[in-house]
Amino acid sequence: MLLENKTAVVTGCLQGIGRAVLDLFVREGADVFACCQKETEEFKEHVDALSKEYGREVIPVYFDLKDADAIRDAARTIQKSRKKIDMLINVAGIADDAYFQMMSMESLKNTFEVNFFSQMLLTQYMVKLMLRNKKGSIVNVSSVIGLDGNAGQLAYSASKAAMAAATKTLSAELAEKGIRVNAVAPGVIDTAMTSVLSEEILDRQLRNADIPRKGTPQEVADVILYLASDRASYVTGQILRVDAGIG
Amino acid sequence: MTNLEKYDKAFISNLKVTKDQLPGLKYRGLEAWDSVAHMDLIADLEESFDIMMEMKDILDFNSYEHGKIVLKEVYGVDIEG
Repeated sequence: MLLENKTAVVTGCLQGIGRAVLDLFVREGADVFACCQKETEEFKEHVDALSKEYGREVIPVYFDLKDADAIRDAARTIQKSRKKIDMLINVAGIADDAYFQMMSMESLKNTFEVNFFSQMLLTQYMVKLMLRNKKGSIVNVSSVIGLDGNAGQLAYSASKAAMAAATKTLSAELAEKGIRVNAVAPGVIDTAMTSVLSEEILDRQLRNADIPRKGTPQEVADVILYLASDRASYVTGQILRVDAGIG
Repeated sequence: MTNLEKYDKAFISNLKVTKDQLPGLKYRGLEAWDSVAHMDLIADLEESFDIMMEMKDILDFNSYEHGKIVLKEVYGVDIEG
């Protein structure tokens, strides 16, 4: 198992890529602080079942990424557990697509709040915990849209570009402290987020892919697992595309 | 170990100073207390006193003496007590 005796904090665990990361990390031996916005019966049952099946601790942490106080409280909960935090996986994200001339500033700010500012705040808190051990691994979820751009997705693409830029800067700052920082840039993945994309946007993206199908959350989680684990001990500051060769 | 001993130990081990250098010590007042060492110092203090400091307080924590005030007034940690 790649993550035996390690502890991860994963955001966006309710569904999609975050859920796939949660499941995979537990299967690989990690204890996980499973962060998501709200408690649901399905999530609670899933977490309990996962914990029982693999004998690992899965600790749900509920908070709204638009609430700085809630993020601080969540970080404090994690700190008070006294567990050594080895990995932070920033998955949570939203898309509020609109063509530029139709995009409200409120939508732009809201998207940045969830996709970037709040994740940076949580990262600040978690890095302090990692500094105690002089070791850690952070994986951010950016997007090919953040690297390449896409018509109708300015808020999402700009926020994901910020995540990619932050990954490189954090890597440069934290490497000497034993903390690696990488990102994945998924292409078109079969999640709730892409299920609401217009046919026009989807067709345009898949037409440019060497493998002309949507990827699965599991396929992204596999790459995140590699980057988070010690198998990638000499890899930092990278934005790894998981996109079937788009572009 | 008293709170003062824990506090001093964090400074001495992270900033590589001696106990007699502590009074009057200021952030960036010596080469060793740069922003990187500052974060190490804060991480050490957070662990020692089981607190999690806000960024505004981390920035406000700008000297050996003022740090005691921040810890007492904001986090209820009495270093001198």
